[in-house]
Amino acid sequence: MPAKTKVLIVDDEERFRDTLKKLLTANGLETNAVGSGMEAIEELHQQPYDVILLDVKMPGMSGLEALAELKRINRDVEVIILTGHASVDVAVEIMRLGGYEYLLKPCPMEELLAKIESAFERKTAREERTKKVQTTASS
Amino acid sequence: MKAILLNESSSSSFNPYFHAATLLAAALAVCLVFFGDFLFAAAALVVAFVSFLTTRHLTRLVAKANEQKSDLDEQLIQSQKLAAIGELSSGIAHEINNPLAIMGQETEWIKHLLKADNLQAPGATEELRDSLREIVDQVDRCKEITHKLLDFARKKEPLIQAADVNKLIEDMARLVEKEAAQKNIQILREYQKNLPRVPTDPPLLRQVVLNILNNAAYAIGKGGAITIATRLSGGDAVELAFSDTGCGIPKEQRDRIFDPFFTTKPPGEGTGLGLSISHSIIVKLGGRITVASEVGKGTTFTIQLPVGLT
Amino acid sequence: MKDFRVLIVDDEVDFLETIVKRLKRRKVDTTGIDSGIKALELLEKEPFDVVILDVRMPGMDGIETLKEMKKKRPLMEVIMLTGHASVESGVQGMHYGAFDYVMKPADIDELLGKIHEAYERKALHENRIREKLTI
Repeated sequence: MPAKTKVLIVDDEERFRDTLKKLLTANGLETNAVGSGMEAIEELHQQPYDVILLDVKMPGMSGLEALAELKRINRDVEVIILTGHASVDVAVEIMRLGGYEYLLKPCPMEELLAKIESAFERKTAREERTKKVQTTASS
Repeated sequence: MKAILLNESSSSSFNPYFHAATLLAAALAVCLVFFGDFLFAAAALVVAFVSFLTTRHLTRLVAKANEQKSDLDEQLIQSQKLAAIGELSSGIAHEINNPLAIMGQETEWIKHLLKADNLQAPGATEELRDSLREIVDQVDRCKEITHKLLDFARKKEPLIQAADVNKLIEDMARLVEKEAAQKNIQILREYQKNLPRVPTDPPLLRQVVLNILNNAAYAIGKGGAITIATRLSGGDAVELAFSDTGCGIPKEQRDRIFDPFFTTKPPGEGTGLGLSISHSIIVKLGGRITVASEVGKGTTFTIQLPVGLT
Repeated sequence: MKDFRVLIVDDEVDFLETIVKRLKRRKVDTTGIDSGIKALELLEKEPFDVVILDVRMPGMDGIETLKEMKKKRPLMEVIMLTGHASVESGVQGMHYGAFDYVMKPADIDELLGKIHEAYERKALHENRIREKLTI
């Protein structure tokens, strides 16, 4: 990943998100962490992110509600859902709302990093396509 | 023929009216034969025979339907049980997943710290210790969850003894009082004098009372009061009411308050099993537990216990 | 009922001696011991019906001792004794099977009442098991 990929962690377990932030930072990612869906929305209004790691079960605003809202603010940000349990229904819903994919908690570091990287690649690829379209349109 | 009809009707006695009609038609046939009108007699016999076949078929259908219904009822109870187990299992899985996720993460961080150049960095050993401490804490958290679960699952059949509930509650109130006073929480008593002894399981009831008092203190936080009241209710039951001036329970949560794993506490604090265990204890003791609450004002838990001998 | 045996476990020796003396005066067969470990050793040799167990003790504390006692003698009833009311030890004690709680200083009549109730429970429990075994 060329320029540092910006990642936002959204999880209500303080220790979990703090240690994950340390791990991702140590792996060369620019990382921030917040504790709820509402805070994530505020954060995304303040600054842009490439990838968001979103816990599905949180008190107050659920992960899926937050996903919908985050995609509304910035259609290009890639959101990876972290969940303790996989189900077809939830997977379909995530896709429908524009999520990138889901990962099962607990998740080994390599897998998480690989997913973040491929999400970032998809984002970059889409942005380049959009740019191309814009330049051909203006010419 | 009448004998055959009578035999059948005695073995499936569901519809006396239809059988009466069959018999009547048969009787009419006999009479008509007697009076010599054979054509009408034959017609009446046919009617009798047809109605006999119809009623026998109908009663068999009803019997089959009843059988299917009780099968369905059984299946419903079974599937409700399975649904409850399913819900409990997914609750357990989720509860234990959080500590597991944290432990997984800490081991990743330890692996990272143990890489040659990282270990030299200042504060590295302290961070290693901190991660290990966190793992130990999370293991304890899991232990608490499984312990409470086993407690929940274990069939605690109550041992009934006659208990002085005022005294029982007062003992638990005194246990909670000192710490409550430190947080400026008063405990007020309104015990009805001369309550009859209640046939109950004292240690189980103590557990429930302690759980409710604990929750009340937590809901208040700092500065407030818990009021304990006892009284006779309807001559055959004793009512115990625990009111607090805490934050109250919003309506959406009130229906779920006795569900296993339901908790409004932050993760790691409490298992969400206290009230559900309390609820199942009270039910086992033949009583009822209900909650009334107003957000911002407070909550009251009311327990009714039968006094009559079971 | 009077021929049941009570064991008191408390590291505070003055308190221990006083309580043992008072209970003996009420004709209760009482033994006093000043540590959790010694109590467990004693239980290997002699039977007791009700134990009064202090929560805060150096070495093996009340809750640990309670756990061990419940493992070795599940029918023996334990009443926890606490010098400072602690909700946490209360909850833990209940969770690990304590029958009841007494706060120091303990009123002797109150203590006796609880001992009787605990012994009654032990008897009920034993009866139930006996019934189950005979079916």
